[in-house]
Amino acid sequence: MLKVNNIKYKYKNENKENIYNFSLEAKCAEVVGILGASGNGKSTLLDLISGFLSSISGDITYNDQDITDLAPEKRPITILFQNYNLFEHLNVEKNILLGIESKNKQEDIKKTYKILSEIGLKGYEKKIASSLSGGEQQRVALARALLRNKPILLLDEPFTGLDFDTREHMLHLVKTITKTKQICTIMVTHEPNDCKKIANKIYEVKNGKLTLL
Amino acid sequence: MLKIILGAILLLGSLFAKETLTIYTYDSFAASWGPAPLIKKAFEKKYNCNLKFVATDSAIGAFRKVQLEGKNTKADIVLGLDTNTAELARKSGLFAKHHADTSKLDLPIKWNDDTFVPFDYSYFAFVYDSNKLKNPPSSFDELANMPKNFKIIIEDPRSSTPGLGLLLWIKATYKDKAYEYWKKLAPHILTITKGWSEAYNLFLKGEADMVLSYTTSPAYHIIEEKKYNYKTANFKAGHYAGIEIAGMLKSSKHKKLAGEFLDFMLTQQFANIIPTTNWSYPVIKLKKGLPKGFDSIYVPSKMILMDGKTVEKNRKIYINEWLRALAK
Amino acid sequence: MLKQYSRFRGSLIPGLLVSVFLLILAFAIFFTLFDATGANKSTFLTLSPRVIGLLKFTIFQATLSTILSIIIGIILAWSLAHQSRFFARSLLIALFSSSLVLPTIIVVFGLITILGRNGWLNHLSLYLFNHTFEGFLYGLSGILIAHVYLNASYAARALLHSFEAIPKQRYKLAKSLGFSVFKRFILIEWPAIKQSVLSIASVVFLLTFTSFAIVLILGGNPSYNTLEVAIYEAVKLDFDISLALELAFLQLGISVILVFFSSNLKTNISNVKMQSLFIPWAEPLFVRFLQITIIFVSCVFFILPLIAIVFDGINADFIRILKSTIFIKSFSTSVIIASISSIITVVFTLFLSNARRNFALKSRISQSKVGKIIEFMISFSGSLYLAIPSLVLGLGFFLLSQKFIAPHLFWASFALLSANVLMSLPFSISVIYPSMLKTATRYDKLCFSLNISGFKRWIYCEWPFLKESIGYAIALSFCLSLGDLGIISLFGNQDFSTLPWYLYGLMGSYQNNDAAGVALILLGLTLSVFIFVPKIFAKENFVKG
Repeated sequence: MLKVNNIKYKYKNENKENIYNFSLEAKCAEVVGILGASGNGKSTLLDLISGFLSSISGDITYNDQDITDLAPEKRPITILFQNYNLFEHLNVEKNILLGIESKNKQEDIKKTYKILSEIGLKGYEKKIASSLSGGEQQRVALARALLRNKPILLLDEPFTGLDFDTREHMLHLVKTITKTKQICTIMVTHEPNDCKKIANKIYEVKNGKLTLL
Repeated sequence: MLKIILGAILLLGSLFAKETLTIYTYDSFAASWGPAPLIKKAFEKKYNCNLKFVATDSAIGAFRKVQLEGKNTKADIVLGLDTNTAELARKSGLFAKHHADTSKLDLPIKWNDDTFVPFDYSYFAFVYDSNKLKNPPSSFDELANMPKNFKIIIEDPRSSTPGLGLLLWIKATYKDKAYEYWKKLAPHILTITKGWSEAYNLFLKGEADMVLSYTTSPAYHIIEEKKYNYKTANFKAGHYAGIEIAGMLKSSKHKKLAGEFLDFMLTQQFANIIPTTNWSYPVIKLKKGLPKGFDSIYVPSKMILMDGKTVEKNRKIYINEWLRALAK
Repeated sequence: MLKQYSRFRGSLIPGLLVSVFLLILAFAIFFTLFDATGANKSTFLTLSPRVIGLLKFTIFQATLSTILSIIIGIILAWSLAHQSRFFARSLLIALFSSSLVLPTIIVVFGLITILGRNGWLNHLSLYLFNHTFEGFLYGLSGILIAHVYLNASYAARALLHSFEAIPKQRYKLAKSLGFSVFKRFILIEWPAIKQSVLSIASVVFLLTFTSFAIVLILGGNPSYNTLEVAIYEAVKLDFDISLALELAFLQLGISVILVFFSSNLKTNISNVKMQSLFIPWAEPLFVRFLQITIIFVSCVFFILPLIAIVFDGINADFIRILKSTIFIKSFSTSVIIASISSIITVVFTLFLSNARRNFALKSRISQSKVGKIIEFMISFSGSLYLAIPSLVLGLGFFLLSQKFIAPHLFWASFALLSANVLMSLPFSISVIYPSMLKTATRYDKLCFSLNISGFKRWIYCEWPFLKESIGYAIALSFCLSLGDLGIISLFGNQDFSTLPWYLYGLMGSYQNNDAAGVALILLGLTLSVFIFVPKIFAKENFVKG
């Protein structure tokens, strides 16, 4: 279980000081949706959980283990960003392999081919990332996130701009994976429908605070 | 024991190794086309030693380098300063007295300097292209009264030997009126360069009607290029001389050899090399006479030379006066 | 906070070490010089009216030169950006930026051949209109023309980069809103290039502020000298090192303000192009005509002096030059020194930039006073040497070499290498740092979350985006080093000479033909390095796509 306890963060803008104070809980095999209009601190929350920003006070624990002070790469977290998820000059296979760190390379390649066909991108292995459409790129990134086998999955507005069918398919995929792999998934979005479809629990961000809906 | 063996090896080594004499000088003297290679060959053969020339950007640069190096300097001789900078060097106390026999010197003036020995000389003069200019000025007054678009290039007295030469030449000619003269001359000065090479190259590119150089410059064009159109504007009142000198350093570890070099500068062998490599006059009479080509260049009837002590005492004042006169 | 620093120690430590090394070197040089002045410090901080006059003129001409260079640079870059397809465009751009790295004396003589009293322009005008322009190339106008020649082309090249990085969508927007060319420039192009303009302007100001050879050969009058000339005077003539130091500090002080100002400018990475974006449609006819005219006139102005150097040199006896042992020695010394110093420069640049970007990214090290100070130190140490007169630098190295005895070859190479690296660092940083910052902004989170770090990150994430900038930085520092005549004069001798030093020696002894030939060889070498090295880097595909 991921627990975020009163993490505080201050950010000075040109004219005003923003203070954030977040608390949330996410259980295994559960999708937690975080709703909110832009500018309310959604991205800040994800940056704090993933360790790109450090908080002034409060702590983050996973299964009662304190991860507040860990560097991003050391946290049990994998993230799907809104954009720039792929190295545009590399091919799909390399992009996925770069995220996996196992010893057996043959095995990794096999897994890569398998997951690509699962998400409907069979035959895309050698394509250069920049030649893919936005939706395809996000799918490749999701595939990589899934292969990384981290217990926490963070999704930052991942399906914005995708067509309806792809979006449905991806949401479904996230839901299924969360269950079968028993991971905590936290999805940030401004789209209430997405949350309703798959989230077990929904928080709303407003003025730097989270409230359970 | 080890020490003794080492000592013996060092001693033997030094017995067999040839002594090396190091001379700091300006770049064009040390250049492969300059006098240095020929002098090196002749001197090494005569005294069974090594002769090493170290080039700096100017003679004054060579002297400053010695000053900076202080006691550690490898230099035995500084070669290339002239009578105008001699006092500056003498004041440093770095130079030893020479023992050269200066009685056979063939200079337009009497030489009685006990520290420095001259090795060549020439006169400062304005060089022009006789294909383009038909009536060159024959005095400073005429120069200042040339038409408005008549332009000359001179060198900066703060950084160049000819530049300082001209400053003193005009001072010696006009005394208290030098300031006024410079003001009159100013419109004719196209530009003032850091050194002789920029000025002369600009002139050869045809940028100006005349350039401040030496009376011996045309000899180069006659002998090396067979060009007879470069001539000097001959000033009846006389030309200021640049006498180049060399001196031996007190700190030298090869004083005997250094003294021998100063003597060597006054031999026929050395003097024969000078005219066609350093493009100036040797300081002794050549037995076989000057090379052909030197006979067709102008020799000033009168040498102007300011006393070295006066120059040193007033150099800064003269330069400031010059700066004021040209200020815009 | 310490935690953040420790997390990024891998990128902080090398950069900080380089930065500290540069600062210590500067300190050692000044300390040695200060030490050499002994007790005689009475003249300190007393400025003569002449020095004040020189300072005024120096600032005046530097400001004027900078403004002119930047205006012409913008106009030219604008024209080139909108005329993206014409014959030999890339060659032209390479030629434009080569003038800055050529030995000044060669460039000046090239300019004189074209614009001098006896230059091609005057002859043409005499032939066509029976009128000559006389000596407009001498005096203040000459200084300005030469400075514009050297710096406007550099500014144009750098700004072209910013123009080409403007997203196409903005141009589409401008088109759809029916902006006039002027409105488009004010609303779309100017905001995008503004920051590059400011940082280029500060570099150009420093370059013209410390100008030496040009003001001496074209200035025509001692009133048109710069502070750098006064320093030369103090060292060479009066041997007044304390006065020289005082003047050097004065110059340094002004430069520090500028460096401070320019390092405070946020590096605008939206201007870093990741790939070339050509503007997809033709301009209105009149504007097109204007742009083509501007490009044509600039070609004439910027390229002709280079052609003049070819003309002057073509008749030289190349066999004799190439056979001469001193030429071969100087040539190889120059090439070796330039190669080594360009590699060191780029390595230092990568270390410094890699350390500096930690402070520019919120997701790395959060803003704090300490962070600001360290960031300033890093950027300051990289550009500090634009402000130290090369004469003072050379003198410092020379005195150091007297204190710590080592073989002449060691000190000569060390001094030359250091001076060259220090000289090219600011340029190299200005080329590489923005690219590095942009790469990090884009891919930092991805790299950290995927735990791609160290060598792996370098291969997959940095190099593919940096290789072009690195190629250009190497070419730039190679050529800057090749053309340098700054401090060799204290260290050169017949065993240790460089190509410009050799060239200057030839000029100093009637060997004009050979000098022109050597100048042509230098020009050829510089241009080929400048054109081909970046191409090699751009082509090389390290990552198999």
